[in-house]
Amino acid sequence: MGPESEVARLRRGDMDALTVLISRYQNRLYRYLLRLVREPAEAEDLFQQTWLRVAEKIRGFDPSRNFDAWLFIVARNLAIDRLRRIQPESLDEPISGDASGGTAADRLTSKEPAAIDHVLERERSNRLAAALITLPVVYREVLTLRFEEEMKLEEIAQVLGVPLSTVKSRLRRSLEQLRHCLEPRHPGESWQ
Amino acid sequence: MNDHEAIRQILSLAAAGALEPGVEQKVAAHVKSCGECAAELEEWRLLAGELRRLPTPQPPAILVERARARAEAKLAEEEEYRWQRGVMIFVVAFAWVLTLMSWPFVRLVSRGLLGMLDPRLNQAWIGFAAFTTIVWLAGGTAAVLLSLRQRRERSLA
Repeated sequence: MGPESEVARLRRGDMDALTVLISRYQNRLYRYLLRLVREPAEAEDLFQQTWLRVAEKIRGFDPSRNFDAWLFIVARNLAIDRLRRIQPESLDEPISGDASGGTAADRLTSKEPAAIDHVLERERSNRLAAALITLPVVYREVLTLRFEEEMKLEEIAQVLGVPLSTVKSRLRRSLEQLRHCLEPRHPGESWQ
Repeated sequence: MNDHEAIRQILSLAAAGALEPGVEQKVAAHVKSCGECAAELEEWRLLAGELRRLPTPQPPAILVERARARAEAKLAEEEEYRWQRGVMIFVVAFAWVLTLMSWPFVRLVSRGLLGMLDPRLNQAWIGFAAFTTIVWLAGGTAAVLLSLRQRRERSLA
């Protein structure tokens, strides 16, 4: 079920609808902001700013539009402004650092296969998350919108304000760059 | 670029589910007969699957509560502002109607019923126009000053 009824109630000034919408989107919105700005403190501040902006602008929201896309556009605009202020020189540059992350050897103390699988899976996730944050913001956002938010390409184009062809090319390049970051550093090693 | 190379270039998009149905069918048909591309597509699918399964970071409960409280306050503030603006528009419109209605009334009282039919611009009309202008200028200045003060108080809050 979509958020249409809550959005309509919020536009009429219903505070309960705001609570419902915040709890509905809190995890997705926070994850998206964290992927964009990388710093939890920045993401937390932007999370609050986004809901303030929603409260301010909801009357002007066109109910025929997709609320998800509108919310993410609001969040993105705030995040991009913040990124421009804190790192004006390079929004598109990757950060330096080792994408492989630390070792899990010290955590592999259990002999049970399920526990080992769990630790290995977590390790893979950690490596992937670490590689993801080394990508430029334009690649990080397209990956999180596609794979974590599971948005359609048209919705992503709406959020990013770019043509569909640009979304596709960014998606392809971001996957290639991510895979390159995860390439094994030693013979016989695999990221999977 | 041959078909094999062209398809190899878009295998990542195929794993991301970002191809149009026609192109996707073409890729599927090629992959059936090309082991190299099938293996490559499997690699991309594994990566896409891992991305979908990345753990979702949870916002702290206190942050969510603070965001809700601030957004509620903002919503209430916006409601109040809209109400005040509505009242202001009504008061201004009412004041104008009252002013315009008072002209013929005062003229009726001061010069009788026949005076209403006198179209000439005499001293009484000029006096009224000057009085109205001065009152509106004073009222307008007071309204602007009050609005500026309210805005300053709101920004300090």
